Amino acid sequence: MADKNYYSIDPMGRLKCHKCGIPLIKGKAKFMYLDNGFPVELPVCPECGFVYVPEELALGKVLSVEKALEDK
Amino acid sequence: MSYIPERGSTHVYKVNKISKEEIHSMAEQCVYEQPPFCNAACPLKLDTKSMLKAAATGDFNKALQLYERIAPFPLILAAGCDAPCETKCRLKEVGDSISVREIERAVSRFGVGKKSGSVFKMYKKTPAAIFGSGLFSLMLAGELEKKAYPLTVFCEEGSPEEFLSSETEFLTEEEFESELMRLNQKDIKFEFNCDLTHTFFEEKRGEFTIVCASEKCAKAFFPDAVCDESLMIYEKEQLVMGCGSGVMAAAFGAKKAAVTADRLAQKLDPRNTRGDEGPAESKLYTDLSAAGSKEKIAVPPEGYTKEQAMEEAKRCIQCHCDECFKACAYIQHYQKNPALMTREIYNNTQIIMGDHQMNKPMNACALCGQCKVVCPNGFDMSRVCQAARRNMVSTDKMPNSPHEFALLDMLFSNEDAFLSCSQPGHERCRYVFFPGCQSDAIAPETVRAAYTDLCTRLDGGVALMLGCCGAIADWAGRTEMYEEQKAFIRSELSKLGDPVVIAGCPTCAKELREQDGIEVLGIWDILNEIGLPEGGKAPDRLFALHDSCGARGDAQTQNAIRTIAGKLGCTLIDTEYSSDRSPCCGYGGLTAYANREVAKEMTEKCLERSDAPYITYCMACRDRFAREGRESRHILELIYGTDAGSPPDISEKRYNRLRLKNDLLHDLRGEEPEEEITDGPIEFTDECLKMMDDRMILKSDVIQVIRSYKETGEAIEDGESGLLVCRERLGNVTFWVKFSEDECGKVTVHRAWSHRMTIQRRIGG
Repeated sequence: MADKNYYSIDPMGRLKCHKCGIPLIKGKAKFMYLDNGFPVELPVCPECGFVYVPEELALGKVLSVEKALEDK
Repeated sequence: MSYIPERGSTHVYKVNKISKEEIHSMAEQCVYEQPPFCNAACPLKLDTKSMLKAAATGDFNKALQLYERIAPFPLILAAGCDAPCETKCRLKEVGDSISVREIERAVSRFGVGKKSGSVFKMYKKTPAAIFGSGLFSLMLAGELEKKAYPLTVFCEEGSPEEFLSSETEFLTEEEFESELMRLNQKDIKFEFNCDLTHTFFEEKRGEFTIVCASEKCAKAFFPDAVCDESLMIYEKEQLVMGCGSGVMAAAFGAKKAAVTADRLAQKLDPRNTRGDEGPAESKLYTDLSAAGSKEKIAVPPEGYTKEQAMEEAKRCIQCHCDECFKACAYIQHYQKNPALMTREIYNNTQIIMGDHQMNKPMNACALCGQCKVVCPNGFDMSRVCQAARRNMVSTDKMPNSPHEFALLDMLFSNEDAFLSCSQPGHERCRYVFFPGCQSDAIAPETVRAAYTDLCTRLDGGVALMLGCCGAIADWAGRTEMYEEQKAFIRSELSKLGDPVVIAGCPTCAKELREQDGIEVLGIWDILNEIGLPEGGKAPDRLFALHDSCGARGDAQTQNAIRTIAGKLGCTLIDTEYSSDRSPCCGYGGLTAYANREVAKEMTEKCLERSDAPYITYCMACRDRFAREGRESRHILELIYGTDAGSPPDISEKRYNRLRLKNDLLHDLRGEEPEEEITDGPIEFTDECLKMMDDRMILKSDVIQVIRSYKETGEAIEDGESGLLVCRERLGNVTFWVKFSEDECGKVTVHRAWSHRMTIQRRIGG
């Protein structure tokens, strides 16, 4: 399945992993809900693997997909 | 921390809680879809109500088009109609019925009908013939022409005028001319001056698939001919024939004959699948209070003028039942009648794959039972929605998102914030005060004052139980959890020696009363018996009393509250929707959690009844009204002179419960709390607190996320805002917290958000 971009990943390079002290990069991640999985690309720490879900994504696309799956 | 497992697979192939028969019998109780009485009484199925509506607005063309659907010759039908609709008109009960027949005449005179015929008209391949003249032949010709049969009429007359004049001597000259024009516009082939003998008939019938005759002709062709009046056929000869006399008999006969013709044309038994024919009884309910003028407009000899017909049509109250629509914000929101809603909710349970579009509506009902009271037939939407929720839970289709917060809140009430203890000095108490989880959360000082008062003035000792009665699990459709909570409360009561419960909340009183062996009184009953404490007084002004949905059908409680309000010196306003008809504030049935939009509309619906401040006797109602900005007081606040103030947010509600528990433990046992209930070294901006309340994020959740950050150091630095963002999965939700941290490690939280999806790093494709 093609990865979908619902969010433009840190275009200004302003996100940094606090623990590892290095900038986040575009990385592969997977959302899971009610036995369904969705491959996505999100800001990820290349060192520790911390995946960041920004507020607008959580309250936007993620929420709408959650609602849609709950009605399946 | 309590955890409720999230639902699993999305495909479950079983439905076990609602039977089709049960749903159908429920849906039948709703009379919304029943026809109005006039429509039902008309054997020709005229949509009288719509015709009158069009006439009332002066749209005579539309009115005539509606009338022409059942009357190919409207002036003839209007002149000879027996008007059974007028006999059944509900206005007859309060005055004169609507003069439908006279309006029909006016509509037929003043309206312009639909142009018949089209260049693209497709004709049936089954030619039809009618032998003979008269009203039945004329009406049947109109019906068959409308159905696009290639039609030939054989008659003894020599012209259309003569054909039309047979049996229509009651028409005025003007009306006759008008109907003649209508007849000439119809696509009917005439063979005039025929000698209608049996031989002629036999000669011609072979050319036609459908053969019809007037009663006179049929008897001439076959002297033994007997008409089956339900089918209008002489079966032996497969001859469609008329019988009876008069305009109505002819019109109704022609309708039935046309259906028989259709069945014969398709080579099917004319008895089957004919649909509803003839007059019917309607079960519709009509509120007659809307009736205006009771007297009909006198009919001049020449019939109504346009204006008179309009005025008379305006008297029609357009019979319909919308009692539940008027009363319930939930029904209003979805704009669907309960019968339709019930069918759709049932269909929703039958969907195995695909969207379950009724999940949200079934979770939005307040389960308050108001519809059962306001519906003239006692339709109970809560029964349907409750059964549907239980079905969803039992088939593992209920997601956690609509109810999880409330369920965890209930578990919190019955775990961390639970308290059950006897009054000091009484080994076994005669009573136990059960204020209810909402009172504990919203007005802890009032609870404390009430308990102190009860301990002081009641003999035999008053124990205390802070907790939830379990109603929340019941509303959520979680039967197992509900039984567990009931059993828990039951066993705690047993430990106290099964004292008489003094409930502070009508819903708790109702829930506990339903359990065997528990004697329950309301605190209002006790206070009426022992008198109010000194000092309780209401401000000298008008109050609107909002009855709790938990007290629906409980006149004793409703009256007790009114008595107390009287003793406090309140002047109360009762409205149309008081007592048993009271709407829900939006908390009931967990609407406030599952569908905030509908819950808000419910609250507004409650508040639109009066501009005065509200007195409630359920703390959830008080809270929701106050949140909407309306001054509202729980009756216990007035009795004890306390003021719960502005509504607490979701976190304060939990803190209030814990603090109340600590305070009472201190009062009763002199125990000092193990730890103080505070936010610790964490601060929240005002904007963040509001955001968290909206997003149902508790301070305790945020504190746990920060604690986790302190342990692991895992966070993101947001260069733009200069803030840190950390996250933690707690139960079924991932919480994100945006915060700043000063040099001393003091944290200020600026934003918080959450999602239910889990997120993991993906290696490879």
